[in-house]
Amino acid sequence: MKQFGKRWGLLAIILVAVVGLMGVVLTRKDAGLYHQPVGQVTHVATLNRTKTTDEFNNTDVSVTQRVTVRLLNQQSANTVRVKHTFDASGAMDQAYRVGDQVFLHLPSGQHSAATITGLKRDTALAAVVWLALTLLLLIMRFHGLLALLSVALNGVLFYAAIQIDLATNGGHVYSLFGVLAVVFAALTLGLVLGFNRQMLVTFGATLVGTGLAVIISLTVFALTHERGVTYESMQYVTQVPRPLFLVETVLGSLGAVMDESTDIVASLFQLKTERPDIAPQQVFKSGLQIGHSIMGPLINVLFLIFMADTFAMTLLYLRNGNNWGYTFTMNMSLGMVQSLISGIGIVLAIPVASWLASRLMPREVRSV
Amino acid sequence: MSTITVLGLILLILMTIIGGKTGATAFLSLIFNFGLLFLAVILISWGFPAVGVSLVIGTIILAFTIFFGEDDALAAKTAYIAALIVMVILILIIFPVENWIMAQGFSLEDSEDLEGMSLAIGVSFVGVAVTEAILSTLGAIAEASIAIAAGLSEIIAQQPQVSAKRLYVDGISIGKQIIGTTFNTLFFGFFGGFLALFIWFAGLHYSLGSVLNNKIFVAEVTMVLFSLIGVILTVPITTWVMTLQHRHQAKLKD
Repeated sequence: MKQFGKRWGLLAIILVAVVGLMGVVLTRKDAGLYHQPVGQVTHVATLNRTKTTDEFNNTDVSVTQRVTVRLLNQQSANTVRVKHTFDASGAMDQAYRVGDQVFLHLPSGQHSAATITGLKRDTALAAVVWLALTLLLLIMRFHGLLALLSVALNGVLFYAAIQIDLATNGGHVYSLFGVLAVVFAALTLGLVLGFNRQMLVTFGATLVGTGLAVIISLTVFALTHERGVTYESMQYVTQVPRPLFLVETVLGSLGAVMDESTDIVASLFQLKTERPDIAPQQVFKSGLQIGHSIMGPLINVLFLIFMADTFAMTLLYLRNGNNWGYTFTMNMSLGMVQSLISGIGIVLAIPVASWLASRLMPREVRSV
Repeated sequence: MSTITVLGLILLILMTIIGGKTGATAFLSLIFNFGLLFLAVILISWGFPAVGVSLVIGTIILAFTIFFGEDDALAAKTAYIAALIVMVILILIIFPVENWIMAQGFSLEDSEDLEGMSLAIGVSFVGVAVTEAILSTLGAIAEASIAIAAGLSEIIAQQPQVSAKRLYVDGISIGKQIIGTTFNTLFFGFFGGFLALFIWFAGLHYSLGSVLNNKIFVAEVTMVLFSLIGVILTVPITTWVMTLQHRHQAKLKD
C-alpha cells in the first residue's frame, strides 16, 4: 500500500513538472497580456563598433545595432526597425539577439521612431522558478508544498503591509513593520511546527533574540552618533531612510533567527523525550552546545547575501577612480552594519532559546 | 569609534562568551570572508575573468566557513567535498541562465545613484552578475552541507555498521527538516533587504508585468532561487558523499 502511494506521489510530481514546463513555454506567447507593445527580434545587423575611452582610462566598445522586430500584440504594421546602441560591458543596456522578446515604445503611429525599452524576461524567470519548484517537490515531496505555502502567505502579508505603509505615507514604519515581523514569525513557525508549546518557545526565542539585537544596536547608534552609517547611500529610497534601514535589517535577520531557534528548540524537546528526567540546567547547556556549531555558518549566510548585492556598484566605484575606503563606505558599510546586527540577533537567540526551552518544557513530554 | 567597529566588537565578545573557541573562530572566518569578497571585487576590477575569480574565491570561502565552524573531521571533510560539487553544478546552471536572462548591472531605478559615473568601464557585467549569484549562494550551501554531514556522522558514530541505504534515507530525512527553515532564512534575507525597492514599485504603481520583467526584481528572485536550488541539491549530494566516505573507511578497517 505504501509502495502504491509512493508511486502515485511520483506520478503527481511528474505531472506537475510537465504542466509547469508547458507554462514556461506558454510565456513565449503571452504578449497579449501586456499593455506595452511587445515584439520578437527577427534580424540583427551590427552597423557600427566604436572604441570608447573615459576620463579614467577605461576602454569599452560602443556598438550600434539595427534590430528588426516583429510586433506581437499590435494591430498595425507588423515589423519595425530600431536603431539600438549599447556598451559591450552591458552595465545599463545590452545586445539584442535573434529570438529575444522585447518591450517597445511606439510613439502613436510613427513606427520609424520606435525604441526598445527593455528585454522581456518572464520566460527565463519562469524557467528558473520551474527548475527550483520541480527539484523542491522531487526531494521534499509534501514538505515542499508546506514551505511554498508559507512563502506565499508571507508574500501576501508583505504586499498588504506595503500598501498600508503607502496609504499612511510611511508615517508608522516602525509599528507597522514591527507588527508584521511578529505576524511573520507566528505564521511561519505555526505552519512548520503547528500551534503547540514547542512553537511558542521557538516564537518567544525569535522575538526576544531579535528584540535584544535591536535594543543593543540602537544603544550603539546613540553612543557612536551613527558615525560611518551612510544612510544617504541607501538605494531605492522614497521615504525617510533610517527607519526603512532598521526595518530591512530586522526583517532580513528574522528568517535566520527563526531557523536557528527552530533547530535548537526541536533538538532540546527531542532530548527531553529521550531522557525525561534530565535537569533544566543540563537542557540549557545542551542548547548552548547545539548553538555553537549553528551560529557561524548562519551568520555567514546572511553576510554573503547582504554583501553580494553590493558587488556591481562597488566595482563601478572602483573603476571610477574612487579609493578603497570611500568605495567601502558608500557601498558596503550599510550591508556590514546589517550583517553585524543580524549576527548579534543570531548569537543572542541561542541562550534565549536554550533558557526558554529549559524552563518552559513540560515535566513529561509526550512523543509528538 | 565608528558604529561598525563597536558593533563588530560586541559581536566578537558575544560569540566568544556564548560559543567559546568555536565562536571566536567563527568570527574570524567572517572577517576572512569579508576580505575575500573585497578581494574578489578588486580582482574583477583589475580585469580578471569573473567566473574564474568566483570559482577560486568560492572554494576558499567554503573552506573557511566549513572548517572553522565544524570540529568533527569526517563531517567537515564530507561537507566540504559536497559543497564544492554543488558549487560547480550551480555555476553550470547560473552561467547560461545569466546570459539568457540578462538581469545584470543597473536599471533605470538606479539612475540617481549613477549620476556622474562612467558606465563604459570595459568589465562584463554579466560576469559580475554570475559572481554575485554564486557568492550569495555559498553561505546557504555551506550551512546545509554541515548540518547534514554532522547529523550523518553522529549516526555513523553510534551505529558503525549502518548500511548505505539506511544512511541515504536518514540523510534525506535530515534534509527535509532543514530545507523548510533554510527556505525562510533565504526568503527573509533577500526580501527583507529589498523593502525600499518594493515600496518604490508599489508607490509608483508598477504593473505586475513591469515588476516581473524588471531587471533588479528578476536579479533578486533568481538569486533566491539559485540559493534554494543549491540547498536542495546539497541534501542528496552530501548524503551520497557521506556514504562513499563511510564505505571507504569500512574498507580501510578490514
